[in-house]
Amino acid sequence: MRVELTVNGERREADAWAGESLLYVLRERLGLPGSKNACEQGECGSCSVLLDGRLVCACLVLAAQADGHELVTVEGLGEEAGLHPVQEAFAETGAVQCGFCTPGFVVATADLLARNPRPSDDEIREALSGNLCRCTGYAKIFDAVRLAAGS
Amino acid sequence: MELLRPESAEAASAALGNGSVALAGGTELVPLLRDGIVRAEKLVELRDVVPRGFDGTRIGAGTTLAELEVDPQIPQALREACSLAASPQLRSMSTLGGNLLQATRCWYWRLNFPCYLHGGDVCHAKAGQHREHAIFGSDRCASAHPSDPAAALLALGARLHTTARELPLSELYRLPTDDNRDVTALEPGELILELDVPQPEASVYLKAMERRKWSFALVGVAAARFADGVRLALAGVAPVPWALSSPDALEQATPLPGTAYKVDIARALIRRAVEAVGAPRSA
Ligand SMILES: Cc1cc2nc3c(=O)[nH]c(=O)nc-3n(C[C@H](O)[C@H](O)[C@H](O)COP(=O)(O)OP(=O)(O)OC[C@H]3O[C@@H](n4cnc5c(N)ncnc54)[C@H](O)[C@@H]3O)c2cc1C
Ligand code: SF4
Ligand code: FES
Ligand code: FES
Repeated sequence: MRVELTVNGERREADAWAGESLLYVLRERLGLPGSKNACEQGECGSCSVLLDGRLVCACLVLAAQADGHELVTVEGLGEEAGLHPVQEAFAETGAVQCGFCTPGFVVATADLLARNPRPSDDEIREALSGNLCRCTGYAKIFDAVRLAAGS
Repeated sequence: MELLRPESAEAASAALGNGSVALAGGTELVPLLRDGIVRAEKLVELRDVVPRGFDGTRIGAGTTLAELEVDPQIPQALREACSLAASPQLRSMSTLGGNLLQATRCWYWRLNFPCYLHGGDVCHAKAGQHREHAIFGSDRCASAHPSDPAAALLALGARLHTTARELPLSELYRLPTDDNRDVTALEPGELILELDVPQPEASVYLKAMERRKWSFALVGVAAARFADGVRLALAGVAPVPWALSSPDALEQATPLPGTAYKVDIARALIRRAVEAVGAPRSA
């Protein structure tokens, strides 16, 4: 089937099989590999994107469900001219090791700060609870979120 | 596979069966389809036909957990059950109807072992790994029902409106039997449309997890106080959401060797939940 999406402000179309996930279509059909495919079970959050402004796991949404809807992926956050403040903060604090979880954390953090510019540690913990990182132990990710919130 | 977008609940209901499966948020169905546990030729999208939102004590089955967890009109036990379920990413897609109908998280089942619930003769979990499993109702299948909202709604005495009838939530669920391995009593093509959720005087949902956030319930306890007493219901303790007639009824539990610890957790949570809602006046 033909799927029409607005991705990062641009109209995009793709031919997809009705059972294909949004994550697959983004990565394999639209050339946007920023959202990562790790568990495909909704457990790790590395595929986090915004669907009509709501944070979702792209691996659990069918592309057909997103037909006609608006998406923001990690590619839509920064600009040619410069990184998004959240990306800047993750780089600055060294909140990245293997980097596989990072796009999901960046999207979830940007979503949190857009709704709540000065989150408490508990609010950060809650907002990022659906994102897993197997490398950093989370301390530097907290530093990054606090830094981005202050900037 | 094909995606159908019917224009009414009746049309959706008529389109089901014969290889067509209903799709709400997809957070449960999409991985089951990918793993070949559910097979579908057609998916019937419910988004535009199942009510979403709430009005007084009536909740649309298409309302997401994210919408329920923040609304002050929603009884506290249900709000807490929603906010303690899954992760923010999942709650923004997960509908209440889909949540009530989610399948077990038993890994044998999810890995497609030919176990009792899949129609086979044996429960692999009983002889194998069963730390997350049942303490009640485990004669045949020892799985533990994963829904937090279902326990809250059971304690609250919710009623369902489907495309075919009205029924108490307790009658949605059944223990699997030799001639029928389903754990729900929905007829083919029957859709959950709305729920009536009585306002209690007080209610609470407490959940014990492996970690503080983002985990299925080891045990979840919902308590709701009404004028005639306190009602209790548990998640994570039986193949279906489990109502307890009184705190003492917990002592009738029949745990497996690996789940005996859940009885202790349940006892502690029940005590706290009953304290939190206030004991019935007659007690
Ligand atoms: C990683 C993970 C962790 C989770 N953790 C928790 C947790 O801690 N606690 C908890 O309670 N839940 C948890 N869940 C379950 C989650 O809440 C459910 O997957 C979700 O609520 C299902 O809703 P949905 O709208 O996405 O359903 P779908 O996936 O669209 O549908 C699920 C099933 O219900 C049927 N269906 C859906 N709506 C209707 C309707 N109105 N009438 C008839 N049939 C219908 C579908 O045909 C399908 O069989 C978790 C899920 C995942 C993937
Ligand atoms: S607990 Fe139920 S689902 Fe799990 S192996 Fe036993 S019969 Fe199957
Ligand atoms: S890949 Fe989607 S949650 Fe892990
Ligand atoms: S940096 Fe490796 S998983 Fe997070």
